[in-house]
Amino acid sequence: MIIDRNNLPEDIRNLPESSFEIVGTEDIRDEAFRTEPVGFFKDAVSRLTKNKLSVISFWIIMLIIASSIIVPNCTGYTYSEQNVAFKNLPPKVPGLEKLGILDGTRVMTNRRKDSLNDPTQFPPGSVIEIVKEYSHSGVEMVDVKVDFYRMVGVPEGRYHWMGTDYLGRDLCTRLFLGARISLIIAFFSVVTNICIGIIYGACSGYYGGRVDMMLTHFAEILDGLPYIVVTILFMLLLGSGMVSIVLALTVTGWIGTSRLVRAQFYRFKGREYVLAARTLGVKDRALIFRHILPNAIGPIITRAMISIPGAIFSESFLAYIGLGIKPPNPSIGILLSDGQKVLLQYPYQTVFPAVLISLLMVSFNLFANGLRDALDPTQRGEV
Amino acid sequence: MLRYSLARFGAMLLTMFIIMSLSFWIIRLMPQSIFENPEVAPEVQKLLEAEMHLDKPMVVQYYYFIRDIITKRDFGRSVKLRPGMEVFKVIASRIKPSVVLNFFSLLMAIPAGIILGTIAALQRNKLADNIISFLVVIFISVPSFVFGSVLQYTFTFKIPIFPTLYDASATSFRAMFHSLTLPIIALALGPCATIARYLRGELIETLSSEFLLLARTKGLTRAQAVVRHAFRNSMVPIANTVIPMITGIMGGSLVIERIFAVPGMGGQLVQSITVGDHFLTVALLMFYSAISLVTIFIVDISYGLIDPRIRVGGGK
Amino acid sequence: MAEDRNKNEVILQVKDLRISFRAYGGLVKAVRGVSFDLKRGETVAIVGESGSGKSVSIKAIMGILPGNAIIEGGEILYGGMDLTKLTEEEFHKIRGKRIGLIFQDPLSSLNPIMKVGAQIMEALILSQKMDKKAARIRALELMEAVGIPDVERRFHQYPFQFSGGMRQRIVIAIALAGDPEILICDEPTTALDVTVQARILELINKIKEDRHLSVIFITHDLGVVAQMADRVNVMYAGKIVETGTTEEIFFSPVHPYTWALLSSMPDLETKERLLSIPGAPPNMIAPPPGDAFSVRNRYAMKIDFEKEPPLFKITDTHYAATWLLHPKAPPVQMPEALRARIERMRRAVANG
Repeated sequence: MIIDRNNLPEDIRNLPESSFEIVGTEDIRDEAFRTEPVGFFKDAVSRLTKNKLSVISFWIIMLIIASSIIVPNCTGYTYSEQNVAFKNLPPKVPGLEKLGILDGTRVMTNRRKDSLNDPTQFPPGSVIEIVKEYSHSGVEMVDVKVDFYRMVGVPEGRYHWMGTDYLGRDLCTRLFLGARISLIIAFFSVVTNICIGIIYGACSGYYGGRVDMMLTHFAEILDGLPYIVVTILFMLLLGSGMVSIVLALTVTGWIGTSRLVRAQFYRFKGREYVLAARTLGVKDRALIFRHILPNAIGPIITRAMISIPGAIFSESFLAYIGLGIKPPNPSIGILLSDGQKVLLQYPYQTVFPAVLISLLMVSFNLFANGLRDALDPTQRGEV
Repeated sequence: MLRYSLARFGAMLLTMFIIMSLSFWIIRLMPQSIFENPEVAPEVQKLLEAEMHLDKPMVVQYYYFIRDIITKRDFGRSVKLRPGMEVFKVIASRIKPSVVLNFFSLLMAIPAGIILGTIAALQRNKLADNIISFLVVIFISVPSFVFGSVLQYTFTFKIPIFPTLYDASATSFRAMFHSLTLPIIALALGPCATIARYLRGELIETLSSEFLLLARTKGLTRAQAVVRHAFRNSMVPIANTVIPMITGIMGGSLVIERIFAVPGMGGQLVQSITVGDHFLTVALLMFYSAISLVTIFIVDISYGLIDPRIRVGGGK
Repeated sequence: MAEDRNKNEVILQVKDLRISFRAYGGLVKAVRGVSFDLKRGETVAIVGESGSGKSVSIKAIMGILPGNAIIEGGEILYGGMDLTKLTEEEFHKIRGKRIGLIFQDPLSSLNPIMKVGAQIMEALILSQKMDKKAARIRALELMEAVGIPDVERRFHQYPFQFSGGMRQRIVIAIALAGDPEILICDEPTTALDVTVQARILELINKIKEDRHLSVIFITHDLGVVAQMADRVNVMYAGKIVETGTTEEIFFSPVHPYTWALLSSMPDLETKERLLSIPGAPPNMIAPPPGDAFSVRNRYAMKIDFEKEPPLFKITDTHYAATWLLHPKAPPVQMPEALRARIERMRRAVANG
């Protein structure tokens, strides 16, 4: 709207004089924050809880951790208790059995029809239904669905929620105990890696110059070694056992963290507030841990969370190839490796550990992604 | 470029040397004797030890170890799995299926990952992107040996379209490849997802970059700008993910070979670890390292080819 | 005579342009009714703080608004078309060929892994359908024209091998490749050193003369404006608050925001403290009623908080949107320090 000052429209000309009183002041300040100041972690948590996937994965992780603590003590079996007579029992869960799933039944194929009447093979009440009848070179054959628990004479009231393995050990106990071991190893290896990484990276980044050059070169050479090869070599050297696994996972595992911490130190050590602290006579250690390191806390937490699924994978991988946890101790890797041998006959022996490890890995990855987005909003949008 | 290549090559040799030394010392530091085998007579053991210089000081042994490998390609002999057989020959007899398996997994993973990542980036936050991102999380999280079992159960037992195990008697490459399809897929899923995830992130960033805007103000169509500017630029960081991917595939193949009974080096390595055939183990590990280092070298060089800032060596 | 008529021909006209962005908190009203003309052969400057909507306006002219932008109204008239209504395909015929754009940051606006020669040639080959040989010759000519020495060698180098000023010359060469008649410069010198700045500005003035270009010059630096522009539009919070010839804006500004801008401009003779503009620009999701500048304006009147000021005409070329121009407003004069400053500038100009 363009207006000629000599020819004002009615409404503008008739504006009251009082409107033109000057009310502006010399004292104009930047607008004060209207909201409550929000701390870094509070802010991060509020962002995290907005991410539904992260919240769900968090609760799944919590559920698995809780189960791995509680379940092995509640099944009534121990992880090494063998009972060869009750080997390869199918899963049977109280309550669910009435719905026709996980009821301890199994379809047995290629049985002679007349053997059904033999009480030594099929005790009374063990045959539930005949699935298929056919004849093979003149012999009457059947595929028959049986109550396997009754058939091998498992006492009434004895349940194996996930069945038993080839030695008759309770798989549920073994699986959750294996998960417990996996989680413990993952936790300790990640903590060790982070600690070494922080100290190494802090030295490298804080002192700079020749110290940095040497440390960086060393890390680079170590990083060039193929991960699998180094881990296997160290497992050979250290022998099996939880401590050995943690150590083997530490050989090259800390490098990523040290790189990250070093970069943060390079970014922050030249900042004015650090220089000011230094001129005030603050000691190196206080500068490192009180003034610079807290800046890196977000990325370090993210990094730790992201490396947990990696450590769980490595543990089960080593167990799978026979280098990690040694039987009879359980590990998800061992269960999968044992289950693989009878995959086509008893798929449930693979299904439960496979589902558990997949669930654990997916949840940790999703949670770590959510955490990264929450701690570092600028990276938002990446997968 | 030449200087860069030479530097990378030098780094590769250095790494290889470290692995050789590490293997040597670790094996020799192992508590029990390598020949702790009651079936072998003590005199024979002595003789063997002499032949393998085991009676000399460690440093001398180390010298012989390195020398034999470099000059005679002699990694020692298998003692338990294939007693008396030269380790090098054991490896040679096992190398083909392993190479086919690893190579084709990589060959499948890269283009599939690129296609998925590109679709996800261009369809950002739409249905296709959400589906791909979901699959990516699954494929990255679930270990390859779980996929191996699932694929084996599904496609050889429930829907039998592939053989359960590797067909060692296959005469044609086609038959061999047919029996390797499932293990290849099982190995390729993870790396494929890794590439898709990174490419999506990179492409989204490049798509909002200023030089893409400039390309459009020049009069390029959106498609021209994406293909000519966004795509190649996004490939630079992707090359970085290929290196851990290769080691990932090779690690995964250890187990996958066992699941599908592929008579390759991975299965052999697992076996030799289990029975404690240490010379064989070490040689196989070194062989694995060599393959992965060579691949990494090739990736590094091609990285230089894509990114002039590395090739020309200048820049800030 | 013919030239006179030419001189006054308006080749680009922006009329009441309104652009908003979809954002988390709601619609961000980035441009709220901007109008200006570009006449053939002149340089129009748009001056304002960051976030005042100047870059958004020219992105609309180029048709490269980001996906979350909505043109809510207004027209951009050029060559008988309304650019706000063009499809992506139709825009290809204009972008680069008739309107060229120079970005702020020459480092991020060049593709880091493509040779500069190829980046210049690309436009020629892909959108002008030149063959490779002709494109090469043309690209070398362009590089020479923008003052790059040793073009044959430079042609095969990558952006990271160029200095900031040289990179900006390449960006200019790319913008000129399509032989446009309008050149839009989006803060072309902000990312450069002061000495390099002067040379790039000289270059832009030179190619403008040589090629009879019309230039829209976006900047927040009034010092640059004085060197470049024939006319100046001062933008604040998505609106043009004062517009006039360069002399009018520099020697007789009337809007308090223009006063503030001029007071905050450093010059060689200033002895007194430079004045910053207090406060921050308003929240553009819910712009305040009345004059958006009122909260930062020490001369703000009651009505400034209630009613938006219309654009008052001062001369045929000079307009300003401030209630201070209302006959009933108290006679407010510009600050004394600024008056002294303008006096000095006047003398300096008079003395050449």
